Order: sequence, then C-alpha cells, then structure tokens
Amino acid sequence: MTEKAREFCEALVQGRIGRREFGRRMAALGIGTGAAGAMLNAASTQALAQGFDWGRHRGRSIKLLLNKHPYTDAMVANLDSFKQLTGMNVAYDVFPEDVYFDRVTAALSSRSAEYDAFMTGAYQTWQYGPAGWLVDLNEYIKDAGKTAPNYNWDDVLPNLRASTAWSGQPGAELGGPGSKQWAIPWGFELNSLAYNRRILERMGVGVPKSLPELAEASAKISRDGGGQLYGVGVRGSRSWATIHPGFLSGYANYGQRDFTVEGGKLRPAMATPQSKEFHRLWVKMIQDGGPRNWATYTWYQVGTDLGAGASAMIFDADILGYFMNGGDNRERGNIAYAAFKPNPAAQAPTPNAWIWSLAMSSASRQKDAAWAFMQWASGTEHGLFGARKMDFVNPVRASVWKDEEFRARIARSYPGYLEQYDASAPGSKIYFTPQPLFFNLTTEWAASLQRMVTKEVPVDEGLDRLAESVTRQLRQAGIG
Amino acid sequence: MADLVLRVLRGLALALVLVFFLFPIVWILLMSFQTNETILRLPPSLAFDPTLANYKALLTGTMETSSGTLQVTFLRNLGNSVLLASLSVGLSLLLGVPAAYAFARFRFRLGEDIAFTLLSFRFAPPLLVLLPLSLYFNELGLADTYAGLIWVYQLICLPLVLWIVRSHFEEAGVEVENAYRLDGHSWWAGFRKVAIPLAMPGIAAAGLLAFIFAWNNFVFALILASADKQPVTVGALAFVTASGIQYGQIAAAIVLSILPTLALALYAQRWLVEGLSLGAVKG
Repeated sequence: MTEKAREFCEALVQGRIGRREFGRRMAALGIGTGAAGAMLNAASTQALAQGFDWGRHRGRSIKLLLNKHPYTDAMVANLDSFKQLTGMNVAYDVFPEDVYFDRVTAALSSRSAEYDAFMTGAYQTWQYGPAGWLVDLNEYIKDAGKTAPNYNWDDVLPNLRASTAWSGQPGAELGGPGSKQWAIPWGFELNSLAYNRRILERMGVGVPKSLPELAEASAKISRDGGGQLYGVGVRGSRSWATIHPGFLSGYANYGQRDFTVEGGKLRPAMATPQSKEFHRLWVKMIQDGGPRNWATYTWYQVGTDLGAGASAMIFDADILGYFMNGGDNRERGNIAYAAFKPNPAAQAPTPNAWIWSLAMSSASRQKDAAWAFMQWASGTEHGLFGARKMDFVNPVRASVWKDEEFRARIARSYPGYLEQYDASAPGSKIYFTPQPLFFNLTTEWAASLQRMVTKEVPVDEGLDRLAESVTRQLRQAGIG
Repeated sequence: MADLVLRVLRGLALALVLVFFLFPIVWILLMSFQTNETILRLPPSLAFDPTLANYKALLTGTMETSSGTLQVTFLRNLGNSVLLASLSVGLSLLLGVPAAYAFARFRFRLGEDIAFTLLSFRFAPPLLVLLPLSLYFNELGLADTYAGLIWVYQLICLPLVLWIVRSHFEEAGVEVENAYRLDGHSWWAGFRKVAIPLAMPGIAAAGLLAFIFAWNNFVFALILASADKQPVTVGALAFVTASGIQYGQIAAAIVLSILPTLALALYAQRWLVEGLSLGAVKG
C-alpha cells in the first residue's frame, strides 16, 4: 500500500473524508475499486485493533448457537475478518427459528458447555437470566482490560441497552437500578405501518395516520377487495408473539400498560375502561378489515400476504415490510413505509421493540474468548459492514444510522423507511413489564383476543375474565 | 343394467376417495415445480410454467431469497435421515427379533413385565426423557454423535419390532420348529431356517413401520445433536426464514424426502399387507 493510499484509507475510517471523496482520490492514484476495497478492509482491521490486544485468544475455538436469520448471514459473511483479527476459530450451529428457542432452552437448562454464546430475544432473558444461565455482561463491558477502547457501548441506542438489562425483580424497570446486562443488542425491529402503494392508490385510500383511520381504511379495502384482498395484516395466532408487535405498540400509544406495580406486587391492567376501549377498536379492525384466518396468522402469513398483494397494509415489524419489498415477492418495489401513531392524541409513535441480541452462556468454559467475539459482532465495524452490504437491519448503533452509504442504499430501495425509522426510533423500546410468567400470561392474552374477535365473548367480559385469571396466576407465583 | 349402475357408482366412489387422499400429494408435487410467486397467486391455478429451480436449489445447496443467497444443507439432512433411520432399524432388528422370539417361545420370570416395559418406551412423551438424557449424553460423550442418536432411536424402533414380530412368532406355532429339531438340527438352525422365514412378513412390516417412525422423528436429533446431524424433518424448516417462506423449495424437499420411504414401501408391499393384517388380528 502506498503511503498516500494508506493515508486516504485512514482518513475514511476516521470519518475525515467521505466515501465519494475517498474513491476519487484513490482513482487519482490509479487504484481500482477492488484494490481500494481490500486496502480499506486492512485499514479498518488495523483501526479496530488499535490499543487492544485482539490476538490474546489466538488458537482458541468457540461455538455459537444461531437462529437462521439475515443477521446470522451477515455475520457469517464477515466472519473471516474476525478470524484474521483474532486468530480464533468460530464454529456455529444454525437452527430454523421455529425450533430455535427449544434448542437454546435445552442447551442452557442442561448446563451444556457446548455453546459459548448464542442469539436470544430480550424477553427470553427474563427466563434465562434469573435462572443463572447467562453471564451479566456488565462484567465485561465495564472491564477496560477485556473490552476494546473503541467499542463505544454508549453508541448502542439507549432504549435498546436498557431493554436488554433487568434486575430480575418482577415489575422492576428495564435498565433500572441493579440491572444486569443479560444480552447485547445486535439487530432490532420496531413496529410501524408498511403498505402497498399500488393498492392504496387503486382503492383511493390515503395512508392512515391513526388506529381509527387504519380500521376505517382496512374495512373499506376489504369491502371493495372482492374477496381477493383485505385491509390490514396483523398477527393472531395463540401465542405471545401476537401481542408484542402492532397490538402492544398501539396499546402503549394509548397510554396503557400490561401491569401496574404496587409494593413489589403486580396487578393486571388490561381490564381498565381505557384498555377495553382500545381492545374494542382493535377487535373491530380485525373483524372488518383483517385476514379471514386471522387466528392462525404469525409473522410469516402477515409478511407473505403483503408480499403477494393479498393485503394492503401491515401493522407489524418494520423489517418485515423491508423484506417483502425484495426477493421474488410479487409486490416487490410497491411497498412503502410510514411511522404510525395509533392514538390521534399521542405526541409520537411508541413502537414496542423486538431485539435480537447476543448472550453468553454461564456454562461456557471460555468466556473471555466468547466476549471477544461478542464485542466484535456487536461493534461498529461489523455493524457498518452488515448495514452497507447485507440485510443487517435495523442496526442498533447510532453511528451506523448516520452512515451515508447505508442511508443512501435504504433511501434508494425502500422509500419512506428512513423517515419512518427516524420518527419511530426515539419512542421505541420494550413496553412489557418484565416478569417471569411473561410467556404464559401473554399467550393467554392472545387467546382472549381470539375469543373476542370470533365473538365468543364480548370484549369487556373477555378482559374481566383475563384479569381474574392473570391475578390468580400471579398470586400463585407469589408476585401478585 | 343394475350391475352396470352399481359398477359405475363404485368406480365413482373409488375415484372420489382417491382424489380426496391423493390431492394434497399431487398439489405438493405441482408446487415443487413452481416459483413462490405462482404458488401464492390468487386465485390458485393449475396453469403455470414449470421450473426446476426448487430442485436445483436443493441439489446445488444455494437458495435465492429476498435477503440474498442462502446456503441450503438439505442433501446433508437427507443423508442424515437415511443413515439414522436405516442403522436404527438395523440395530432394532438385530436386537428385537431374537428378543421377540424369546418372548414368544419361552416363559420366564418377569418376562411379561420386561416386554411391557419395552413397550412403555412408546408411551413416554419424548420431551419428558430428553432433558435428563441430554445431561447423561454430555457426561458420556454421546451428545452430538450418530451413535448416541441411533441408541436413542431404539426408543422408537425397538418396541415396534419386538411386539409386531413377537405376535408373528406366536402365530407361526412351534410345531414346525419342533419337527425340524427332531430331525437332528440345532435350536439355532431352527431359529434361522424355520422361525425367521415363517415370521418374515412380520419382520418386514415391523422394519418398515420402524423405518417410517424413525424417519419422521423430529425432536431427538434437534435436542441431542448439532446442526450438521439434523434429519430432513428439522432441515425442511430451514425454508421458513425471517424474510419469507420458500413454499416451492419446501414442496420439493417433501417430494425428495418421501421418495426413500415410498420406494421401501413399494418394495416391501407384498409382505407389508400380510404382516400388518396378521399382526392386527393377533394383537
């Protein structure tokens, strides 16, 4: 590498010049795009290594348990740079999402040392952390001897850092006093509106700005759709996953909570008059403008219908709409995005977040080596690589969101995505109250919602019954 | 005239039954030659331009999705299924046939209790035994090994072989064997040359059934082995990705994964019907 070229690479890595300027100067030196890219990678690796001994675990081999996901693909595509940087070897097992958490739970509960680190959702850490299966990562993040000086933990969006930390006290605030950092945010999704521009234009429907507008627009589309098209896709299966996307985002926007905490005891808050009002609106929206088999709808059906042109809109994860705008989906190129504020009286969107995170098994026999991988995988360099070249969206670092190349790519192919993100992200976090019965009680909430939508039980009565059942279970568990 | 009407009605009824049972399989076969776009169009249609892209993706190991190119390990999964199912059934037959003979021919202390205990393996929900089993497997070094999985698959195969073959030994009766031994042949020769050939339909039926059950198993490998040892039942889920469901490739994977059991069933058909019906009558 010539001295000049080295200087330009360092200038780009340090953010002193832009990418276009870098390309122009390298071209002036007669260096082509491919060679410039290789030089830049080398400079990035050197920059990453500055002031930190990445090679201290050279020769070691760690094993990861991963979910089959674009985040995993991005990591695998960039893994060689980690191996070069550290001299470590990384083995991994990738399992499909449908069975992934069964595998994680089995591995952790059997205290197997096979996997050193693994992917998890934040909700799962409420079970794994207090059970003693995870390492409190504060021990590493705050240890200057184990964490590179340029790791810049504070660059990770504050709501996400807080959402993956919990004291283990039922009802205690996420990221509050005494919290343990059970996982490191890796990639996340927030819940917004994704819509099919072509269909909305054809039906003469504007982009809804609130939940009442969404319900009205969906009902009109379903009515006029001739049985081949419905208004809005939302999840409906008997699972906790039905509650956490659009539903909870809207619920939180109406100022509602799942529980109230008094004197360390939890009380269900689903049966308040305001909550009942919200539930009535949601149920009516599904009845008049939702899919016919709503009660079977998961992430997959909601996304597939949008991509196939069977639904006009979804109120779900923003990245679900992102994926449906590509590949071999019939409606690729027609999907657009909008930040969504369900409550007309609310100040801003409040999307609930799903955060794919990295956690460390407490049974691991090489925790320091596992941490070396985790800080690399959640670091800025890999975040930039994934965001620019792969589908590692949404990034969890503020610096990656400011990256010009990433923003230009998204703006070009995903109209409105950046705007919806910028408007939604400040209010995006986990709006559930952390407690150990999360999966059971939230699944029961979804089951109640199903009975309301099928008119098996009126909304008010359904919520009263749900609150009674939840109260009983909380008492039995000693937390209500 | 009445006969003709009856024959036509019977033919129609048979055709209806055939369509009812075969339609899902035919539909999956058709899906395997379509892209996601044509599979998901509304309303569904039988007219489409066939493509071999799904089979190509499975055989070449790369799949194009909305989030880029993904690696597909389906052929490895298929190989794992063949290996696990055939070796498990082989071991079950090796252990189960002599045991079934012993239970059928000899009365010994706790004999029925032992036979029933072996049968009870089929009653226990796999999830109940999997966690303690994975602890032991970790200790014994059997976790994530084919040998360990084949051992665990005996929970599925051995009771089936034992109980089906036992009823066939009992049905065959001991007289022919006794006559053979009176001619001066050994007990072992009687077992090999008389008892086993007489019970062969039952052994074939039990072997095939055990193979199908082992082939369809999902949870044992999922919990006890790593990704490179997973069978097709787990591997097929890889087409359900965060960025969409690859329906065409799932259909092609189903078609490829039923081929081995279908070939085996066709081959063993003549023993299968006899073996299963005899076992059913005898209980």
